[in-house]
Amino acid sequence: MAQRLLLAAGIVFTVAGSLAPFLWFALTSLKTQAEVEQVPPSWLPSGGWHFYRIALFDHDLLAYVGNSIIVAGSTTLLALAIGIPAAYVLARVRLPGKSWILGGLLTVSMFPQMAIAGPVWRLLAEVHGLNTHWGLVLPYVTFSLPIVIWILASFFRELPAELEEAARVDGCTTWQTLTKIMLPLAAPGIFTAAILTFIYAWNEFFFALLILTQPGKQTLPLGIALFQGEFTIPWGELAAASVLATLPLVLMVLLFQRWIISGLSAGAVKG
Amino acid sequence: MTKSVAKAMSADHAAAWWMLAPALAFTLTLAVYPVIASFVLSLYRIILSMPALGEPFVGLENYGALLRDPTARQAFLVTAGFVALSTALELLLGLCIALVIHAQFPGRGWVRAAALIPWVIPTAVASQMWRYIFNDQYGLANLLLFGDRVAEYIPWFASPGIAFLIMVLADVWKTSSFAALLILAGLQLIPDELYEAARIDGANLWQRFWHITFPLLRPALLLALLFRTMDSFRVFDLAFVMTQGGPGDATQVLQLYGYKAMFTEGRMGYGSAVSVSVFLAIFFLSLLYIRAIGSRLLERNA
Amino acid sequence: MARHYQHSFDSVHCVLSLLQGIRGTFCDWTECARLKTALLICVLLLGSSAIAGDPDGQSGEPVRTVTLRFVSWKADHPRAWDEAFARFAETRPHISIVRELAPHSSTAYHDLLTQKLKNRDATVDLFFMDIIWVPEFASAGWVRPLDDLFSPEEQANFLPAAMETGRYGGHVYGVPSRIDSGMLFYRADLLAKYGFTPPRTWPELIDQAEVIVGGERASQPALRGYSGQFKQYEGLVCSMMEFIGSAGGRLITADLQTSQLADPVNLAAVDFVREQIVGRIASRAVLTYQEPESVVPFIQGNAVFHRNWPYTWEVANDPKRSRIAGHVGVVPLPGMADRPPATALGGWLYAISPFSRHQREAWEFIEFLSSAPLQRHFALAAGIAPSRAAILQDERVLEANPHFRAQLAMFHGATARPRTPLYPAISNILQRYFSRALAYRDVNLVAEATQADIQINRLLDVGRSAR
Repeated sequence: MAQRLLLAAGIVFTVAGSLAPFLWFALTSLKTQAEVEQVPPSWLPSGGWHFYRIALFDHDLLAYVGNSIIVAGSTTLLALAIGIPAAYVLARVRLPGKSWILGGLLTVSMFPQMAIAGPVWRLLAEVHGLNTHWGLVLPYVTFSLPIVIWILASFFRELPAELEEAARVDGCTTWQTLTKIMLPLAAPGIFTAAILTFIYAWNEFFFALLILTQPGKQTLPLGIALFQGEFTIPWGELAAASVLATLPLVLMVLLFQRWIISGLSAGAVKG
Repeated sequence: MTKSVAKAMSADHAAAWWMLAPALAFTLTLAVYPVIASFVLSLYRIILSMPALGEPFVGLENYGALLRDPTARQAFLVTAGFVALSTALELLLGLCIALVIHAQFPGRGWVRAAALIPWVIPTAVASQMWRYIFNDQYGLANLLLFGDRVAEYIPWFASPGIAFLIMVLADVWKTSSFAALLILAGLQLIPDELYEAARIDGANLWQRFWHITFPLLRPALLLALLFRTMDSFRVFDLAFVMTQGGPGDATQVLQLYGYKAMFTEGRMGYGSAVSVSVFLAIFFLSLLYIRAIGSRLLERNA
Repeated sequence: MARHYQHSFDSVHCVLSLLQGIRGTFCDWTECARLKTALLICVLLLGSSAIAGDPDGQSGEPVRTVTLRFVSWKADHPRAWDEAFARFAETRPHISIVRELAPHSSTAYHDLLTQKLKNRDATVDLFFMDIIWVPEFASAGWVRPLDDLFSPEEQANFLPAAMETGRYGGHVYGVPSRIDSGMLFYRADLLAKYGFTPPRTWPELIDQAEVIVGGERASQPALRGYSGQFKQYEGLVCSMMEFIGSAGGRLITADLQTSQLADPVNLAAVDFVREQIVGRIASRAVLTYQEPESVVPFIQGNAVFHRNWPYTWEVANDPKRSRIAGHVGVVPLPGMADRPPATALGGWLYAISPFSRHQREAWEFIEFLSSAPLQRHFALAAGIAPSRAAILQDERVLEANPHFRAQLAMFHGATARPRTPLYPAISNILQRYFSRALAYRDVNLVAEATQADIQINRLLDVGRSAR
């Protein structure tokens, strides 16, 4: 009985704690201007979609959404294209110094952005990559490769070796074995890695701040962080924009919760 | 993997290297080389707004200045405090959440999804959200505490200590579920039979947790500790959006300080010294951790 | 999406084949220069093959039409600006203007803009330049000198003090768009109710505030005496400099040799703000306020006095935004005891990027924006105080903006923030010192000020070694 109660309390705490703060922000986005400015604040909104219209059209939020989709989408595809073969090799091929490479990759994922910001900026300036989406995708790919490789390597490792053996006998090269045999089998792992990369790229702020200085090219986190009104802080519009920026991710979580959890745990502990 | 496959594959080493090459190229170009270049930059005095100074090599001068710089000291203390406090709370809370979402109950998928939501919310959004919740006039915190007694409303961010704690709170809210996921993975590895046996022996809930769950969870907890420590060392967005480092440098974290030195003040050499120091701190910390847990992890992977 | 996917794979093949090409030396993994080259070439291919499909290349423009990119902030009065742009389009159909809106916050704006200028970004043609950046930009070569375009006769039409803000090292770098300095706004209705005339000294202001807040407590518990900007950011330097200046102090000696925060006069002024303003008549919330936050209590009727820039006049008198429209007064900031008041000099200059490919056209546009008719338009439609002496004396302009007289008086005595290329770094030290002094009740002022002095003096030393 005590266990039941404890569990119930835990469930309530988890759900309320996770959702309540954001719900308050979401409620704000539905208020009227008067309700937003009211002190003490009102609990329930009566305003409707007013702030969403302003956020979307006056603040040009759609452009930010588009930029975020381009950047996060390209990052995901490129990181997978590069990460899949690398993960396969690290999982299946005996190479000298393999554990060094894996360890090195793990370390890279821990690099503070500041430590590379200056030189990355200079490199991108040299190749005219500043203020372009691909210029942002490059560091994003670099920083999502470790997690992609980590997750996929653990997936590949668990696939049965007999299949590869058969492929070998039939004369497949390593590359063919990967693309023809292993890829379809590792689809769940690839999907998880894709989701995680997408979330990372969707949310990243530091490099975006550094690389994208032109409002028409900026991604959502920048738009939200540098959100401005004319004279005062437009909390209603900001809340609406925040909800819109978060919605795609919330949908992803609702749809793919299972994949995210299994993917992270596979990559992390089972090793 | 069987021996024959291994053999065939080692003959194909070249192909393997080519498959690794793009990943290595990215990593070397955009992560390893920049760190080295940052270190090189930190040995020069480069002030962008004063090209007349030239870019003289000054050896370790910037590091000397860093040691004498009270702002840098403060930034280090703030960051260290932030890392210690937020990581501890996140592990604790993450463990609780993990225990909850590991249990069997109807609707568990929904609870798991709910727990994941803070983690996927962009930090910029979460920062604005907490800034609004602790707003001195429109905030939920004041509404909950004081209702319509407007005169008693507290300007939370005006107090250095509270502003720091809000930053910790925002981080804990956002990333506890990530810690929970890592811990959940550990929980799933503990065989149910152990609990059955303990139950038969008459162990109560706490005893089962303390004697079975906790010891077997150690590796997962350590891994979560590693990830969270390293990651919270890099905190930037929260301070940038919520406080810009104030009041009185109470939320001036190292990455923000380095950013200001480099990109607001144009002191590239000094800013690089700050960022190389952050890098070294994280690097040695991670070596320490990896000595403790990582080696086992890497061996298994290799 | 399929298209992106295709390109991504192309790029992988491209990396692979390039690396294969240099296979001979490739076993040497430390040779990352080659790797770098290979990668960068691929990056270029990838970029040009349109991951992003950026549409803003110069190629598609019809001949003889020039597009100017103007970096400004979200226009304070969109309609007034739209009209100005429309008028320009009528007279110069061959020049089109693209406005790029940067953040409000001066520092965030500065960081974004300087990122572009460091990168010699040719897509910026002209920009609004905060007067505090003039030495920095001039020294770094991030702004084009206007000496050859801006004739002395034309310069003479502007207020000399305003022109001064755009000069550095014997050159002129910017055209003043307005005059800007800190002002004191007050609730005319409340002061009248208690029989007060606007305060001339800070102690007087404090007395009035306490009487009014005490008298209104029953009906308006949220009313406070004062609202201003004391968050740790650039504006804090302005706010504090005004108190220090009123007390007769200076942040740094006039010759920019020595920081003197630990000077007793300065310490007393900081202590005054700490004890009398933040600790007494204002809510401590002012420690979290920049301009946008600080104006809210005032226009909601929750502050008797409010320090802000001149645009506040328009905001506070706009019935759509403000609950106190029509009850607002504005005067110069108070002084300390018998000393004349001090106010921080603000302002924005029109400036041209030295990396622009359309500098002539940019100058044409600036000439237009800063012309007499346009300054009159901005004064009437947006309440922006003109920088041309003649327009400031224009009857119609003064009728619509009675506060311009007080503003002009303040402007002439206004104090500039230290004019050195290292100002951003110095400002960060000042912000830290002031914010610590105000936010920590038990901080040792002398120790903090001395520490800040040492840090600033070190920077000034570095700056001197350049000459």
